[in-house]
Amino acid sequence: MPISRLTLGGVALLLFFAFAPAALAQECADCHEEQAKSFTTNPHAAQASCEVCHGDGAAHIEAGGDKTKIEVPRGFAGAENTCLGCHDRTTERRSHRMGAHANSAAVNCLSCHSIHKAEVAENLVALPQPQLCATCHGTQAASFRNKPHAHRMGTGGMGCTTCHDPHARPGRDNVRLTSAGESVCLGCHTDKRGPHVFQHGGTAVGEADCASCHEPHGSSNPNQLKRARVAQVCLECHSPITTATLGSQPPSFHNLNSPRYQNCTTCHVAIHGSNRSPQLLK
Amino acid sequence: MNKLTCLLVIVLLAFTAGAQTSIPIEVEAGYRWTRVSGNELLYRTQIDERSGFMLRSLTFFTPQLRVDATDLGSGPASALRIETGKADVFKLRIGYRSFDTFSALPEFANPLFVQGITPGQHTFDRQRQMFDADIEFLPGRKIAPFIGYSQSRFDGPGTTTYTIGGDEFLLGQSLDESEREFRAGANFELGKFYGSITQGWRSLESDETLTLAQAASGGNNTGTVLGRAITGSAITRNGSFDVDTPFTTAYVTGEVSSRVRVTGSFIRFAADSDGVDDESAAGSFVSFGVGRFFNGYDDTISSRAKNTTWRGTARAEISLTDRIDLLTGFRTEHREISGDALIRSVFVDSTTFSGLDRRDLEELVVAESALDRDVDTIEAALNMRALGPFSVRVGFSQSQFDFGVRPDLSEIVVPGNQGSQHDRKVNTFDVSTAFRKSLFSAGIAYRRDDANEIVLRSDFTNRDRVRVRAGFHTPGNLLRIGLMAEDLQQENDALFDAEARQYTADLEVAPVTPVRLRAAYSRLRANSVVTIRRPETFVLDTSRHDEEGDALELGFALDFRPVTIDASASRFENTGTLPFDVDRYRTRIVYDFLTHAGIAAEWSRDNYAEDAPSGRFDADRYGLFVRYRP
Repeated sequence: MPISRLTLGGVALLLFFAFAPAALAQECADCHEEQAKSFTTNPHAAQASCEVCHGDGAAHIEAGGDKTKIEVPRGFAGAENTCLGCHDRTTERRSHRMGAHANSAAVNCLSCHSIHKAEVAENLVALPQPQLCATCHGTQAASFRNKPHAHRMGTGGMGCTTCHDPHARPGRDNVRLTSAGESVCLGCHTDKRGPHVFQHGGTAVGEADCASCHEPHGSSNPNQLKRARVAQVCLECHSPITTATLGSQPPSFHNLNSPRYQNCTTCHVAIHGSNRSPQLLK
Repeated sequence: MNKLTCLLVIVLLAFTAGAQTSIPIEVEAGYRWTRVSGNELLYRTQIDERSGFMLRSLTFFTPQLRVDATDLGSGPASALRIETGKADVFKLRIGYRSFDTFSALPEFANPLFVQGITPGQHTFDRQRQMFDADIEFLPGRKIAPFIGYSQSRFDGPGTTTYTIGGDEFLLGQSLDESEREFRAGANFELGKFYGSITQGWRSLESDETLTLAQAASGGNNTGTVLGRAITGSAITRNGSFDVDTPFTTAYVTGEVSSRVRVTGSFIRFAADSDGVDDESAAGSFVSFGVGRFFNGYDDTISSRAKNTTWRGTARAEISLTDRIDLLTGFRTEHREISGDALIRSVFVDSTTFSGLDRRDLEELVVAESALDRDVDTIEAALNMRALGPFSVRVGFSQSQFDFGVRPDLSEIVVPGNQGSQHDRKVNTFDVSTAFRKSLFSAGIAYRRDDANEIVLRSDFTNRDRVRVRAGFHTPGNLLRIGLMAEDLQQENDALFDAEARQYTADLEVAPVTPVRLRAAYSRLRANSVVTIRRPETFVLDTSRHDEEGDALELGFALDFRPVTIDASASRFENTGTLPFDVDRYRTRIVYDFLTHAGIAAEWSRDNYAEDAPSGRFDADRYGLFVRYRP
């Protein structure tokens, strides 16, 4: 897909709509001029007026702008009674009301979203990623910032929500899936998806799949591996101490004193799976 | 990005800057220069920002149309998204993403590194481009059909090694993968029930070509095998495989009462791949597998593999009170992966080690593999969302894993431990509480996993994770403090023990309104000890991995509009198994010389240094951009 055609298409659409009439705010604009002006580009403007969130403003207007006579949704109750009035959907993995970031006394809709002063217009998010997520998940953000081998957070639209769904349920449901229901990693790394005649057992049976060997939040090691040396990654599974584990012992010509055998993938190049070689050699 | 596009963007900028009324568009575009010294390949592996024109950001928004673009142009990653629609008629989303993927690590999988030969022989320089379009008709109606299309392409050159005939050879590699997906379905809302059903079809075509690299005919081993030099005068392989994957996803949620909500879901996909490979080589080789020298070989391989996976869930969300919920769920998943390959090898002009029987030798191998995996999970959680300023969540889940793996015809290594049956049960208990009162917030989360047996040597039998955070901020964020800590410990009875600890502290101060100072410190400690068996002696040994990283970040932002300055510096020192230092500097100066328009200048510097001279680079990037804001 040539980039230039898409870009041209986007620019043409943009010019076409550049002077399309925007929805106007209500009479509230007489006093709240700034909010009304910015609200014309707010996603809520298409289907909601000021009263939907702030209630009937007649008493507020009659009282000359008395702040006690108008509803201002704040905190747990504000989100529960206002935001979730429209945005309360439960799907197979998501739940706005009861998900990982359930509306609660400590975290509510307005912890992350800002209706009138969003720094990121998309989804009215209060701060850009990963700064927003870092306010609570600082250790993960620090890994991305500091470690040399990491997904390029903040470049090309990549953010925490590329892989995580903030409204999903806690645990593994918090990680997105492909449209077919596979691990989120395979949405981009399609060449690793297979199926292969000879799967690498760890990725096929492991509970964590790709994360069995890789650090998704950034790594100090090449290829975002969990260990600095390739042989370490491999031998920590391929060293049966008891007979009960999956993953067998390399034969004795694999002399770890030789650089060749310190890097298992020098020969086992198809480490993610192969259709040609049971030993994952090609 | 071509010249015409650049011109259009400039015209657009001029047009919008001169407009009488504010136009709802934010755009920043310009040019970036890079200067790299040291190992440029390592720089490209880690950062890969290159010189060229780029549309840094574009956002256009009206209630009818929204366009977002990021980093279009010189890469390494870019995105474009368009959303438009008409209420009750249609909703259209178009997305485009592009990633440059580059890898050329000096020491990684490089047996020649100790001889001073860099870079590694496993490299790639590829681009992935992804396009998505989804349109939903009659959104919000009782039944809203939708269709979608996705296309992904991954292509580019690379290098790899190939082990054949007693040596390994450097090969040039070309990969061209193309994937298309079409999906159709409907969202529905019928009374107290709503949901969605999707049927999709995905097809992948992958073509790969490998040829012996120039000056690689001698192989990596300079010695001889049984007195004979191993050489390859030609090695080629053409391989392709296609994968067809129909998939179905569906869910339905029923609001049984005002306090009870029930959701059921189903996902199934069946991936079916067919592959064909032709491979040939000429040279002087040896194979201990067939006990012969040979002067070439021809391989033809036909393969077929299948992955059928389905998953079903049933969940209930019960509001016991307005602030306390009970969540229960059951999930079952089944995965079946099977494959077979017919491998026909002809060893051309072969001779036994004794020098007799000079002839072609044919070997036929029929290989099969199979894997079954079933996972059943039950879970329950009590979510007390607002107990005064506190929220508390207590959860328990139990997962039962059943694995069956058939041993391969030719096992990777010493026979045994490759085919087996496993039953693993994992009990997970988690409790978390969070607090927010006025300007303070805090949270603590603890999770404990217990398993009855391990499948892989690195599986845990006991795992504990603790996360703690605390925050304070003043009104207007004149002062903001954040503290976070995380500790993860896991072990099993098969001599595996690992711990990772991370601590971060953030401080932001605004002593006067236009000045904001930032500081952050983070510490990482990761240690693991795993007993391994050394292959060459079968003697037990210890695989130890240590990371001790400390990072200090300092920065400031000055807002003296029309001039704003944002600058930061950071240093990350990591000692342990792979020691390195990284120094990073970032500066951005913006001058808005018109009400809606201005320029931005950027400077970024990264200094990365490992112990080895080949593991270092210094990279400067300079950018000059024009911008428009409404």
